[in-house]
Amino acid sequence: MVPVLLAIIPALNEEETVADVVRSVRDHLDADVLVIDDGSRDRTTERASAAGAIVLRPPFNLGVGAALRTGFRYARANGYHAAVQVDADGQHEVTEAKRLADVIDTGVDLVVGSRFEAGFETSRLRRLSMRMLSRRISRYLGVTITDTTSGFRGFGPVAIERFADAYPRAYLSDTVEALMVAGDWGLRVEEIPVRMLPRQGGQPSAGTAKSVYHLVRLTLVIALHRFRRPLYVRGTDS
Amino acid sequence: MNLQIFVIGLGVVLLAIVIEVVRRRRLSEGYALLWIAVGIGGVLLGVARPLIDRFSDSLGVSYGANLVFAFVFVFLIVVCINLSMHVSKLEDQVTSLAEELALTRGPQTGPPGGSPPPSATDATTPPEPGSSPVPDRP
Repeated sequence: MVPVLLAIIPALNEEETVADVVRSVRDHLDADVLVIDDGSRDRTTERASAAGAIVLRPPFNLGVGAALRTGFRYARANGYHAAVQVDADGQHEVTEAKRLADVIDTGVDLVVGSRFEAGFETSRLRRLSMRMLSRRISRYLGVTITDTTSGFRGFGPVAIERFADAYPRAYLSDTVEALMVAGDWGLRVEEIPVRMLPRQGGQPSAGTAKSVYHLVRLTLVIALHRFRRPLYVRGTDS
Repeated sequence: MNLQIFVIGLGVVLLAIVIEVVRRRRLSEGYALLWIAVGIGGVLLGVARPLIDRFSDSLGVSYGANLVFAFVFVFLIVVCINLSMHVSKLEDQVTSLAEELALTRGPQTGPPGGSPPPSATDATTPPEPGSSPVPDRP
């Protein structure tokens, strides 16, 4: 039996939770588990590997987007037909990853798990900006995506193939801009609601000043997107 | 008045150049934001001459343009320091990558640039476990 599904778990200093996530993915899904240890300074690699994950470790921190791209390259090189992206902090309920994989099986190229219907709680600034992003991205794609920054996603074979060459790596671009890139390629994008778990460990990211900067940056990215050259990655030879 | 139009025109040209290189994906959006801010700042300085004069008077600077020069000078120094920091980080990262690559390639036997280096799969000595970028599937 050859597994066709790869669970890609980008992890940065998640030694407290990564082993449980890996184990639960292996329990609930017929999938291989790939952890990208993106420059952790703790025992993330040891814990993930002991729990049965394949662990790749770039020599220094690359950011979630590039870690994910590494995952897509691994998936493409090893012939996986589908992939699910799961957070290492234990907030993503693994049984829901199964539903993402099921949607991919119906021929969807990229499926987003939305945290909103599960009562996703967040700050006012963040909620406002997420609504703005949702409006712009949904109009661009012609499909309603409420949770554009969700990192709980499933990818089909075509998405894996193409994202392995070109996946935006900047913070927030790795989720939001990737949707527009998928739209440019004519990929089928869908969203389903998913249940979420409270944070198990680790630290939530980004303070207010930084979020505002990233939001302004993202606004520029979205405004210019349709006029820009297609995304490619320097140094890709395939 | 003509000078003001010239300064504003300069700011607009700078903005156009920045947006064009972002469009070509030759400049990341983070740096683009910095230079867009500079372009807008330039335009504002062009139109805000009376404001600058008043501000410099209150600081005891007799000629407003000198104050602008001083600010711009400090700003550019800060940008240069920031860029040097980025270059230093890139140097470290490239060095580290080259070391990883040497380890991944494994021991070499031929002269440099002679025959192509053996790939990880047919190297006589297998790369050290955990260092290969794409390990085999278990």
